[in-house]
Amino acid sequence: MSLGETLKEWYRVIFKENYSPVVGGILLALLVILLEMWYRPWGIVGGLRNWGEWVLYGVGLLEEAPPHPLWFSSSVLDIGLLFGAFISACLAQEFGIRIPPKLEVIKAIVAGILMGVGSALARGCNIGGFYMAIANLSAGGIAMMLGLMVGVFIGVKYLLWEIEHFTSQGGKEISVKKISPILGIIALIALLWGAYDYFNSEKDEGALLGGALLLTAGIGFVMHRTRFCLVNAFREPFLSGEATMAKGAALSLFLAMFGVMLIKMAGMRDAMTYVEPSFFLGSLIGGIIFGAAMVVAGGCGSGSLWRVAEGQVKLWIVVIFFALTNAILRYYMDNVWEVWDKGWLGTQVYLPDVFGYAGTFLILSFVIFLWYVFVDWNEKTEKFVIGF
Amino acid sequence: MVDLSSIKADEVLDCKGLSCPMPMLKTKKALQKLQSGQILEVWSTDPGSKNDIPGMCKKEGHEFLGFIDEAGYTRYFIKKK
Repeated sequence: MSLGETLKEWYRVIFKENYSPVVGGILLALLVILLEMWYRPWGIVGGLRNWGEWVLYGVGLLEEAPPHPLWFSSSVLDIGLLFGAFISACLAQEFGIRIPPKLEVIKAIVAGILMGVGSALARGCNIGGFYMAIANLSAGGIAMMLGLMVGVFIGVKYLLWEIEHFTSQGGKEISVKKISPILGIIALIALLWGAYDYFNSEKDEGALLGGALLLTAGIGFVMHRTRFCLVNAFREPFLSGEATMAKGAALSLFLAMFGVMLIKMAGMRDAMTYVEPSFFLGSLIGGIIFGAAMVVAGGCGSGSLWRVAEGQVKLWIVVIFFALTNAILRYYMDNVWEVWDKGWLGTQVYLPDVFGYAGTFLILSFVIFLWYVFVDWNEKTEKFVIGF
Repeated sequence: MVDLSSIKADEVLDCKGLSCPMPMLKTKKALQKLQSGQILEVWSTDPGSKNDIPGMCKKEGHEFLGFIDEAGYTRYFIKKK
């Protein structure tokens, strides 16, 4: 094979083919650990809420202007993810505007609103409230994991009912296959330009935001190439028994937890970072609502965003209603009802405060291992499969 | 190798515009209604279908015959077991 052919083959493997969930999961964990070392934990909802607040401010419902989206770290994380996923979709010629049938639009609105509610109660979506919460050794992460499992079961029940009673057709795609590699390259240049601007900015946090933009673009790219999907990871064990994504997710979660634990033990980040006052009621109930809704939406916090970047109009609708609902509800919960100060939905529990670092590591490893063993056993026996 | 473009499907399922997991679920449902040996043609716009549909066929034992990229959608061909 000539050098040219070898390079072409590598281009295909990196930019066109799908990564396996194991490869994607390992890369995701690595990027998440680097992001937390560089600046802060990864998250999704904070950025969406910032955008939602701008809409509320625009229509006069909020008196004070929210932070600028380009100088608010949570928002920059989401912008990076969208960039990375868009670049991936374009280079692989998978970008296209996909317009869903009517029933899907209704599902998107309802699911988006419920995801906004669930993530407000749990103080995070499945990323900030579950994946990154467990990585940051917060007890809330385990409560949300249980909630998500229950919620996903309910969501799967709904899907099975829907498939018996409704047929929806009439969607279409506006394809831009021919020009999409060019769009991808333009987006890549814009991303690098943006990062360059951040690094050369005179503001203190400029370089931090520039690095975060690039790292989350990496996250978006890897997630899209892998079609890394925590909805799939939670749903398929019930729906078909298939566990490939669940195993990749479990491995990723374990690695992220190990890495972030070392960061916290070394004192690089404050221990209470991402330990939210929602243990256990907020995380559990929020997890149930969010879990059911994400199955109907067809995307979780991060999965919805990379599908937005791929051109799935259904997920555009989901994300708009998700962001607005979360912004409105959190405004009332934080400022009017003062839910967190009153401790109605729980308290902050940092697991090492209770069990020490070694105990926490063993407990979380065991929980993740149990998840892995359960989906593996279920894949072979189909004991918990309720699909047809 | 079968010439896919010459296949006359017994049933055509339109999943255009649908996102994961709907194309896979509808395909599974449509296959249930077919007789053994009949052919289902699925139209999907979700890039995920390129993994999901062959994967489901493998798991369920149906024969995945292949796909054709058209302008704006992909046609998948499945022979029921």
